[in-house]
Amino acid sequence: MNVVDVLYYAFSAIRLRKLRAALTTLGVIIGIAAIVALLSFSQGFQDTITTQLQKGFATKTLIVSPRSGLGGGEASISLFVSDAQRIENLSGNVSTAVSIMQKACFINASERTFIVNIIGVDFEKYKEIYESTFVPAEGNITSENDSVVIGARVHNPWQNGTILANVGDTVEVTWTKRSSSGTQENKTYTGWITAVLKEIGGFNLGGPSDFGVYIPISQAQSFFETDACSTIIVLLKDDNKATIDGVSEAIKNEFNNQVSVTSATAVIDIISSVFSNVNFFLAGIAGISLLVAGVGIMNIMIVSLMERTREIGILKALGMKNHTVLMIFLSEAMMIGLMGAAIGIVSGWGLANIVARLGILSGGRIGANQTAVTTQISITPVLTPTVLMGAFAFGIIVSVVFGLYPAWRASKLKPVEALRYE
Amino acid sequence: MAAVVEAVNLKKTYMLGKVPVEALRGVNLKVETGEFLAVLGPSGSGKSTLLNLIGALDKPTDGTVLIDGVDISRLNDNQLANLRRGIGFVFQFFNLIPRLTARQNVELPMAISGLSKDERRKRAEELLEIVGLKERMNHKPTELSGGEQQRVAIARALANNPSFLLLDEPTGNIDSKNAMEIIQLVKRLNASKGVTIIMVTHDQRLASEAKRTLKMLDGLIVEDVMN
Repeated sequence: MNVVDVLYYAFSAIRLRKLRAALTTLGVIIGIAAIVALLSFSQGFQDTITTQLQKGFATKTLIVSPRSGLGGGEASISLFVSDAQRIENLSGNVSTAVSIMQKACFINASERTFIVNIIGVDFEKYKEIYESTFVPAEGNITSENDSVVIGARVHNPWQNGTILANVGDTVEVTWTKRSSSGTQENKTYTGWITAVLKEIGGFNLGGPSDFGVYIPISQAQSFFETDACSTIIVLLKDDNKATIDGVSEAIKNEFNNQVSVTSATAVIDIISSVFSNVNFFLAGIAGISLLVAGVGIMNIMIVSLMERTREIGILKALGMKNHTVLMIFLSEAMMIGLMGAAIGIVSGWGLANIVARLGILSGGRIGANQTAVTTQISITPVLTPTVLMGAFAFGIIVSVVFGLYPAWRASKLKPVEALRYE
Repeated sequence: MAAVVEAVNLKKTYMLGKVPVEALRGVNLKVETGEFLAVLGPSGSGKSTLLNLIGALDKPTDGTVLIDGVDISRLNDNQLANLRRGIGFVFQFFNLIPRLTARQNVELPMAISGLSKDERRKRAEELLEIVGLKERMNHKPTELSGGEQQRVAIARALANNPSFLLLDEPTGNIDSKNAMEIIQLVKRLNASKGVTIIMVTHDQRLASEAKRTLKMLDGLIVEDVMN
């Protein structure tokens, strides 16, 4: 019997019991749809996070910060602004290093006062490291002492046209200096906005942020009356693992292991590996539902086998070989798997998009400061060819595997007994 | 003439629960090309068991069955399947596939043998014409009367040009008028086309239409007469 005839015969058997076939297929549809929806959503989430991170990070950078004790205790040493120079001299693989000083301050602009992170940094070096993100949308980044550079969301926090501060505006920066004796003193200086940064989006780790307010490091040193800095960003010559590890090790040694060195690339890698674990977990859950569907297929095929025992006897009396009977039953399982997988992929993809459109899972608001300056991550589901082909193949494989036993039993029926079966 | 079917000291024992039942207790039989043989006997005499054995649907406990000179107990499942393509079965309960039309039912054994679509379609129509059902070939079995269904079954049995036809109580489920028509059809096939016929029945009247009658009782052939 040729393949077309086998398929036609199998199909005619499925068609006879439409409702039953539809319900069996539904099991596969649900399983495949769950896999596709979950994985495409998770892939979309991962892509969003990764692009956001890559925007805020530079893969060639290291972030050096004082090491805190177990449980996040007070750091045992401080980093100083001059340490950047020390790191630059450490290895030929270091292009440049820049110290960053960060303090929460009040700023007063357009008769509004709010709290922001004031970041003191060497503008020239910072530009060199973050050449694609520390870029002005308006104005020029100049290194005069009273120059202030603001992030896009400080300029336009609610994205509704209400502008908080423009290039050329003066801003008052107020910092509360506290001493150990308990006295508090408000220090204020007036600067003017020389530049507004382009919108960056996403997260940052040491890099420029849409919520940042930047002042030159020299100004920060004198205003905050300290040389201690919070982090030092190191720009490497390349992002090879060897370079990253080598320089990280050298920096740790230089500071007697009292600092921690974070590689942006390593962070991205960790996040990716967390995501692949999450994907695995999600696929596993969805896979279970597909296995249940497989058991459903097996169940229905055994019922069908019993109903059709006599028919199998007839086919064998007419000279059909065992493997042809096997192929007929496997084809029935395969057709159910095929239909289930195809419909499941389409409905899973649809489901993921509906969920994304409704924003059910995309309300990831990241609050920054008291200014209600927030960012929202929107997730676009991504269906990779691997997931597409994998789901398709998995649906068919599960169906065929669970169809194997009933099909084998059908093929092994003895013609005399099958014909006598009532 | 060449023997189409030959049984030598054929024995078959079934286990009915834990009790062995000797359905055949040493049957010797030779059927030659062009014969019309009726096997007559009460139920339980072993005639259906004999039919299953010479139809290669079952293997004997002891003794040999030669079909076209081939010993069936030496064949594996695939070889038996191939052998059965050369045997035309007609069952008491017709055993048509309900979801297929009359024509598709007749085409089925030819599809199993791997004939092309055009060939089997043409032959199915010819065969349905021979049994007088050409105009009803697109009907499903449920839309046909018992007599018509049995005629479709006979057309199906003839599809692969079998060396012989095996009929198991072919009129058992048909009213007497239609039963006579079926038996006339079978006689005509034997007379005009030279088809070898082996028919199992418990109906004396039907058996008398055959050229040769075998009487069975308790697993043995007790009478073998030419009519």
